[in-house]
Amino acid sequence: MRILVVEDEAALLDSLKADLSAAGHAVDTATDGEEGLYAALEFPIDVAIVDLGLPKLSGLELIRRLRAAGKSYGVLVLTARDRWQDKVEGLSAGADDYVAKPFHIGELQARLSALLRRSSGWTTPLLHCDPVVLDTRAQAVAVRGTPVELTSFEYRLLEHLMLHAGEVISKAELTEKLYEQDFERDSNVIEVLIARLRRKLDPEDEIKPIETLRGRGYRITLPRSHVAS
Amino acid sequence: MAQPPSVRRQLIVAVAVPLVFSFALTILALDNIFRQSAQQALRARLEEEIVALVTAAELLEDGRMDLHVLDPESRLSRRRSGQYAMVRNTHGRILWSSPSLAGLPLDFGPLVGTGNAIFRRKVLADGADLGVLSRGLEWDYAPGGRADLVFSVAENLADQNAQLLRFRRQLIAWFGVLAVLLLGVLGELLRRVLRPIRRLEVEIAEVDRGQRAQLGTAYPRELAGVARSLNVLLRSEQRRIVRYRDTLGNLAHSLKTPLAVMRAGLAGGTEQHGSVDREIDHIAQIVDHHLKRAATSGGAAVGQGAVPVAPLLAELRATMLKVHSAKDLAIETEVAARAGFLGDRGDIIELLGNLLDNACKWCSGKVRAEVQLLDEQTAQPRLLIRIEDDGPGIAPEDRGRVLARGVRADERAPGHGLGLAMVADTVALYGGEVLISESAALKGARIEVTLPGRALETDVLKSGE
Repeated sequence: MRILVVEDEAALLDSLKADLSAAGHAVDTATDGEEGLYAALEFPIDVAIVDLGLPKLSGLELIRRLRAAGKSYGVLVLTARDRWQDKVEGLSAGADDYVAKPFHIGELQARLSALLRRSSGWTTPLLHCDPVVLDTRAQAVAVRGTPVELTSFEYRLLEHLMLHAGEVISKAELTEKLYEQDFERDSNVIEVLIARLRRKLDPEDEIKPIETLRGRGYRITLPRSHVAS
Repeated sequence: MAQPPSVRRQLIVAVAVPLVFSFALTILALDNIFRQSAQQALRARLEEEIVALVTAAELLEDGRMDLHVLDPESRLSRRRSGQYAMVRNTHGRILWSSPSLAGLPLDFGPLVGTGNAIFRRKVLADGADLGVLSRGLEWDYAPGGRADLVFSVAENLADQNAQLLRFRRQLIAWFGVLAVLLLGVLGELLRRVLRPIRRLEVEIAEVDRGQRAQLGTAYPRELAGVARSLNVLLRSEQRRIVRYRDTLGNLAHSLKTPLAVMRAGLAGGTEQHGSVDREIDHIAQIVDHHLKRAATSGGAAVGQGAVPVAPLLAELRATMLKVHSAKDLAIETEVAARAGFLGDRGDIIELLGNLLDNACKWCSGKVRAEVQLLDEQTAQPRLLIRIEDDGPGIAPEDRGRVLARGVRADERAPGHGLGLAMVADTVALYGGEVLISESAALKGARIEVTLPGRALETDVLKSGE
């Protein structure tokens, strides 16, 4: 994996780079916001670790800009300011998770791998497959304008399917999206979740949003439509 | 401590007392003048009558007086007409008395020397009030014949007294009306003049309740300075709070980054490293705890409007779903759209964040957040926040401990503890309440918090979208 680390504290940056490299990742580093933004936009990054307190360009602004530029990889915020206000700001700017300083490197690595697993197309805040609308920012789903309460696993499953609407997604891929550990999971879990999703999205069995392709996986059959947001 | 009387009342009293006093003096003086002029007019009239009598009188041989020329229609001719006359010689013998006097025991008083006159008031037994003028005259009759005579005339003063009484009544009535009118106008004037002061008071109260950020500007010149100074004070107070918080945030940041560096440098893991590692945790925890407490404004956020809770909760819900992504979470929220928090935005985010984070940490998968506005029609609406989860709950014997305030961070109960103690601190600063119980619906912990609230205007809701 190629990881971008933007951190202005040289000692911390060095040790992060050493640890992540030792774990087998390719690491790009930047020590200020502008340099970080350049790397974030130009390099094929898989996940970025961004400190919020950066010189030249704040971490928040950096995240906003890379999201605005259509970058959809996972972003993990590194912050010493861990009031919820700061966390909410960071995550609604487009970050996916945060780790508060001072952190254990083990915790950071666990969060990173979870993020790599989860990270998926963050291209537009609204995914629209008529009549289902999924708001990635509020993590909310509505069918024909009526909000549908989903659990976070159901939501993530639907988000992944909708991001790849029209494509066939295997059970293995879906399992990987949900769980952090690599060990084998009972594939029944996915079947149960899909059944629950179908019930919640389509209680009358009219729109049939999710198609099952025996032995291959699942597919959203609804037409993908773009919504100006 | 007794409150000093109102400025308006003091001013009215200060004006009313001298006003009434000077009006009374004026009434007395006018009354006096009126009385004296009436008396003078009476005397002049009586003098004229004496002159008329003298002109008409003729002294007879036998020493009696004859006033045959007297007009029979005159008041002197009619009985008890109220006008009387008498002519006496210096020995007191009555030479003539007017027909009007018939049967009336009227004493015209002492005799007067020639060339003198005397005016007296006399009250008769039947209560009639008379003015009496007597004048001594030297009478020449037949060549060489002389006699000293005393002419007296009297007039009933009933008419004059009645007139005086009427005058007095009118005088008092007019001045009374004038005084009431003047005091009324003064009162109204004061009310108008003092209205800006009352407005200032109302606006300061509104600032205190967070309903407005600054005082208005349309004040009269004398108060504009005060309002301006207060606004400057408010602004600097707001700036000071922001600066204070920024400083604390920067302090946290600058302390924790070196800690992160230290920890990163520890990679390896001897036993000694382990203890240093634990101490780093400890330091971070203490820094966190105290900085968060210090940064809680507790309603001191002067002049901030009510914070809409619904959008905050939606943002926090999305945040929680990201942060607790390892769990299959269902966070259900039910927020009254009009619910507003009367206090600092950072405080309510922190409080809701802690409550939700705790619930997400401990739940098996379901969290429910509900926000209502209570007592909406009263002057002090309250915001009710209810967070429930389907986790193990908090045992009744632990409920007091997890909320214990002012306990050192490391002495708090683990788990639910830290976050809830923060919540309890914040709620206490706002004068609210925290109640821990068991959720009826989800069977886990139920935490209810009441805080000062406010119903939001609908246009605020729209712009907050």
